[in-house]
Amino acid sequence: MNNQPDSNFRWGYAIFVLLLLSVLGFLAVGILSLFVGVNVEELSGNVALIPIDGVITGSEDSGFLFDTTTNSLETVEVIEKADKNPNIKAIILEINSPGGSAVASEEIANAVKKTNKTTVAWIREVGASGAYWVASSSDYIIAHRVSITGSIGVIASYLEFPGLLERYNITYQRLVSGKYKDIGTPFKEMTAEEKDIFQQNLDSIRDYFAAEVAKNRNLNKKDVDKIANGLFYLGAQAKELGLVDEIGGKDEVVGYIEKKEGIKADIVEYKKEKTLLDVLSDVLSRQSFFVGKGIGSSLLDKKAASSISITT
Amino acid sequence: MKRLNLPKEKTFIGPALIWKRIAAFFIDLMIINFFVLFPFRKLFQNIIPKDYSYSEAYRLLSSSTDYTSFISSVSIVISVLIILYFLMLESKMSQSIGKSLMRIYVVSDNKVLKKWQLLTRNIVFIPLFPFVLLWIIDPLFMFFTKTNQRLTEVLSKTKVVEKYSFGQ
Repeated sequence: MNNQPDSNFRWGYAIFVLLLLSVLGFLAVGILSLFVGVNVEELSGNVALIPIDGVITGSEDSGFLFDTTTNSLETVEVIEKADKNPNIKAIILEINSPGGSAVASEEIANAVKKTNKTTVAWIREVGASGAYWVASSSDYIIAHRVSITGSIGVIASYLEFPGLLERYNITYQRLVSGKYKDIGTPFKEMTAEEKDIFQQNLDSIRDYFAAEVAKNRNLNKKDVDKIANGLFYLGAQAKELGLVDEIGGKDEVVGYIEKKEGIKADIVEYKKEKTLLDVLSDVLSRQSFFVGKGIGSSLLDKKAASSISITT
Repeated sequence: MKRLNLPKEKTFIGPALIWKRIAAFFIDLMIINFFVLFPFRKLFQNIIPKDYSYSEAYRLLSSSTDYTSFISSVSIVISVLIILYFLMLESKMSQSIGKSLMRIYVVSDNKVLKKWQLLTRNIVFIPLFPFVLLWIIDPLFMFFTKTNQRLTEVLSKTKVVEKYSFGQ
C-alpha cells in the first residue's frame, strides 16, 4: 500500500457534515416544490377542493397575478389529477364565478361529469351562467342562501362605434370576400339580417345550455326553458326551483361528503401550481407583449375588429 | 531486573474484510436515512398513506406526470446528498462514520486522495442510466478481486483498507 491511513476521525466535523446535509435536504424539498410545481400538501388529504374563481376562460393568457380567472384547460387538468389520485374520495368545486366562455364552461362541466368521485358544487357568492353550468354537472349542489345563481342564458353584446369614427372623420374601408366575414365588427352598424343570424346562434347556444342543465339536474327540459331567460336567482329561490339541492356553506358540504363516503374529510386544495419558471416566463412574455403592443399594434386590435365573444 | 527482548507489536495495512465493509455501509445508510433524508422521509409520509402496499404506492406516484417528475428530481437530490456525505467525510478523514466504527479507511493508490477519485468511487449512487447498472455489478466485483475492491474503486484507483496487527 502506498498510503498510510490516518486515524484522525473527528466527530465534531462528522456532526457538522450531518447537520449541513440535513439543512440542505430541507432546502432542497422547498426548492424542488417551487421548480417542479407540485404542491406537497396536495399529495395528502382525501377531499380535493378545486376553486372556480372569477371569469371562466379558455385561453391561458388571461389573468395574471391580480386578475382572478379560471382557465378551463388548467381546471380540467386539476380535476383529472384529483380523479386519478386514489386517496381522493370526493371533489368539491368551490364556485365564486359569474360564468364566462361557453366552450370553457362546457369543458369543465364535462371533466366533472367524467370523474369517478363524488362531486359537490359549493356556490358561495356567485355561481351564475357558465359557472352554474359547471355546478349542474356535479352530483350535488350546495349554495349559500343569498348567493347569486342561475342566469341561464347567453350574451354577446358589444359596443358599436361607427358614429364615433365618423365624428373623427375615420372611415371603415370594408374589404371582405364573403358576405358575412366581418359580421360583428364594431366599426360598422349591424344589419337586421346579421342580427337575426346572431340571435339564432345565441338561441341555439342557450337551448343547448338549458338542455345540458336539464340533463345534469334530471329536470324537465320545458321547465328549465321557462327559467332559462338569463334571470339570476338567490340561493333560496334556486333551491325552490330545483336548481340547487341544499342551502348551506362549507359545513354542509363537508357533512354531505362525510355521510356519503363514510370518511372523516381532510380537505386539500387542488390548483394548478405556478412554478418559479412559469412566473418568470409569464413576466417576460407579458413584458414583451406590452412592449410590442405599445410600439405598433395598439392602433388596431385585431381581435376586437374580427370577433365578438360569446359568453354564458 | 533485566527485561526480555520481546518483539514489539507489528502492523501492516491490508484490504478491509468484506463483512466489515458491508457493516460499515449499512451503518452509513442508517445514519444517512436518519439525518440526511429526514426531510424527504416526512415528505414521503405525507404522500403515501401508512396502510399502502408497495404496489399501491407505486400506482399513486405514477398517477401523474407532476408526481413522477417530482419523484425523479427528489431521487437525484437525494443521491447528491449521499455523495456529498461520503465526499466530505472521506476527503477530510479518509473515513465515513460507518468506516470509522469498523476501523477501516479509504486510501489512494497514489499518495493523496483526490476529489475525482472520491467522486468516481461514489457514482454508484446516481439514480440514472447507465449508473444504475453499477448497483449490481459494482459490489459483486468485490468478491472477485484480491484486494476486495469494488469496480468503481478499481476505476478510481482507491482501496478500502484496515490495519492488521500481530505480535506483542
